[in-house]
Amino acid sequence: MLTSEQSIVEFKAAQVYPDKLKRNAHRHYFEFAEQMLSIYANGIGQQRRQLHKQVEKLFQDEADCPIRRIDAFCKLLDDKSVYYTDPDGNAARLRLQVFSKAAQFHPLVSQRDQLFEHVENDIKHKIAKELERPWDEIEQGLYADVMEYQRLKEFEGYSGASEFLSRYNVAQLQAALYKAQTMRIWASGDFKTILRYAKLARLLHEIKRIGPSQYEMVLSGPLSVLHETRRYGISFARFLPALLACKGWRMSATIKTPWNGTARLSLSDKDGFSSYLPQPDEFDSSVEEAFAKEFGGERDGWQLIREGEILHENQTTFVPDFVFRHKDGPEVLMEIIGFWTPEYLAHRRETVRRFRDCNILLAIPESSLKSDVVKAKDIVTYKKALAIKSVVEALCEFKIKVD
Amino acid sequence: MDFEGKNEQIILKWDEGTLLLDGWPRDNTPYNMGIWRWDSRVGNWRCDAIYYQRIKEKLSQTANFRDEVMQPASVHWPKVDLPTLRPEQSEALDSWTQSGRRGQVIMPTGTGKTEVALAVMAETKTATLVVAPVRDLMYQWHRKILKGLGYDAGIVGDNTFNIRPVTVTTYDSAYIHISRIGAGFGLLVFDEEHHLPGRCRREAAILSTASMRLGLTATPERSDGLHKDLDFLIGPVVYNMPFRRAKGSTLADFDVIRIPVALNDEEQQVYSQCSRIIREYIVSQREEKPGYNWQELCKETGKDPKARHAQKAYHLKTSIESRAGEKLRVLEDIFRLHNGQPTLVFVGSNAMAIEVSKRFLAPTILSHTGKKERLAVLDGFARGLFKVLVANQVLDEGVDVPEAKIGVVIGGQGSTRQAKQRLGRILRKNGGSQATLYEVVCENTKEVHRSRSRRRSDAYERTIHRRV
Repeated sequence: MLTSEQSIVEFKAAQVYPDKLKRNAHRHYFEFAEQMLSIYANGIGQQRRQLHKQVEKLFQDEADCPIRRIDAFCKLLDDKSVYYTDPDGNAARLRLQVFSKAAQFHPLVSQRDQLFEHVENDIKHKIAKELERPWDEIEQGLYADVMEYQRLKEFEGYSGASEFLSRYNVAQLQAALYKAQTMRIWASGDFKTILRYAKLARLLHEIKRIGPSQYEMVLSGPLSVLHETRRYGISFARFLPALLACKGWRMSATIKTPWNGTARLSLSDKDGFSSYLPQPDEFDSSVEEAFAKEFGGERDGWQLIREGEILHENQTTFVPDFVFRHKDGPEVLMEIIGFWTPEYLAHRRETVRRFRDCNILLAIPESSLKSDVVKAKDIVTYKKALAIKSVVEALCEFKIKVD
Repeated sequence: MDFEGKNEQIILKWDEGTLLLDGWPRDNTPYNMGIWRWDSRVGNWRCDAIYYQRIKEKLSQTANFRDEVMQPASVHWPKVDLPTLRPEQSEALDSWTQSGRRGQVIMPTGTGKTEVALAVMAETKTATLVVAPVRDLMYQWHRKILKGLGYDAGIVGDNTFNIRPVTVTTYDSAYIHISRIGAGFGLLVFDEEHHLPGRCRREAAILSTASMRLGLTATPERSDGLHKDLDFLIGPVVYNMPFRRAKGSTLADFDVIRIPVALNDEEQQVYSQCSRIIREYIVSQREEKPGYNWQELCKETGKDPKARHAQKAYHLKTSIESRAGEKLRVLEDIFRLHNGQPTLVFVGSNAMAIEVSKRFLAPTILSHTGKKERLAVLDGFARGLFKVLVANQVLDEGVDVPEAKIGVVIGGQGSTRQAKQRLGRILRKNGGSQATLYEVVCENTKEVHRSRSRRRSDAYERTIHRRV
């Protein structure tokens, strides 16, 4: 991720536009990207500042390139690099050694006179001789541990120019979010992934259903309800790649401007950002996948929608695997328990109990039931594959109940 | 009274820097205190942790109230070995205690603020978080707590997260971690408290439940005016010792000598060329856009290579000023003049510090200098092995430096606070001899303006200005 100092944003009509390299307008950046990658790939052993200087030089005559963009490129390249950091403190030891030797000759003057006879170059020569190393080498090593002077050890790199550039675009989006206060998402799918990553980023959500399989989610942190804070900016930035990997969403973040106003950063899955996270798996298990394929889009008046609704109470959420929506209106949710442990089963049952006012059908492996247990109506069991017939029967039971 | 009534139990809980009141009905704001907000996301009332004490006083009157917020541990000091406080220090301690143990103590640099804080800690014997501006100061607090109270404090910062009942940290780390660690401290000590009221850093005070708070500074005022918020974040000013009272008593008298240097021909040529580039660009822009200024120029650097060129020219000018070759020659003269006297050199950038260090083979203290090396360098300077110590801004505030009577400022910015802090460094009273501060600035450049603004501070009153 970038630092705030590398962030480039433009404010226009209360909208925030993070710097973005476009496929056409910035076509020539592909070549730049390739050159930058090769500077690092061929730069093993070079100092950080030398590498940065070479990158800077590439853009010398490029009209369209702010300094911050160059800094950001360097940061992204450094993120994939390993530098020699002198953990044993060799440079520090060398400094103490050299400065202690030189101390008795202080001040080192540029020209000898009656009072002062220790000429800079003579003393340096003398110390070099004592240490049995050429002075140039000593001088280079003196501050070798300072960030700018560290030498490149390894460069992992990016898969290519195009990945590097799309990483840049995502990184600028993330950096713009450092100053975000809340994030509002309108989503029509991939709810599980969105909510899971929001929770991983330690964000709180507020969920509102705005239509069938349509939700508005506001993300922020505990403090946000009390006053404006930037505390959760990093969380939004961490969360973003997960959102970019999803489909069917639109987002608007509230961002504080430098002059203390508010602006919005608006984004959707149509904006062409590619996440470095993989797209969410369509199905959690093979049982689910097989069932969905066999059921098809619709059967006996029931439409099948994957992850179609969110059940929520305060910060507890539950996104059942499927929603069956009947053409006459009724809706039944189904959760398939694939792998199971007694604890997981108990946890799931607790969730179902919490949302007992909703129609939830639980599909569980037969092996998880004790033989003498009386099967509840809202449970279907399966051995290897979930039978369509038993599900449709259970759905009808729900329908009768509702009707 | 129904002590058993489970449904009516009111529970106060800590939640990441805020307090949640569980079990209080939504339709009535707790005690009509405006600090509460209903948080529909969790179904509870919520407020900032800073109000903990006030809330608790109200709630303890409720029979079915339970407090689940972590309480500060009491601390036993293994070995208290503190110097007897001077009269003004005792005065400060007393008025802090009498003001409900919340408030700010304002004392000039070098008059022993740290000793006041250690005396406070010795007395309060409660879990304490000490917040300092930079790593060096954090480690210095760690050493002083160990020496004065015999306690090995925890450290949060500098890639370390070791939390103990008494912990030292920096403002930046405190901001980041306070939502995790804000409960469990009874006392907060804010060293150089003028760092606290920034938009983000203030959260270190707001997200903590500590009831006792002590702020220390020589220079509370901030140019953005936010220092007025310190009353809320820490408490009122309980003691204010004017700078004049310190001067000549605890602090030594001092001279300020400004040495203007000229750029050499080559530097001057580049400098003038840069100035011309900037001027011409701005003039050309103003023909179309009257009132065109530097901010607008900076905005256009991404689109217009000429604007970028002008911006680069500006940075080059600054770099020429701060690293003018003549400054190294003047430095040599000062070293000759004060041969044998410990001398501190303050520079504006890491690059310049390293340049001075390589030229004179003198040790440096930079922001990244490790703990061990820093100790070795400071110790060598104190023992007289090293006659010169080069430092960047790191030493600007509060870091105790062994005795030095000669200070040289090369580069740096013109804020009042920095000038006071830098003076404070070399003005600690050590014997009767006169201290001298040299300012080496480029002539006919904007550095001269910075030097003038530096002298506007009241720290420079009654000082001697000489040209060498």
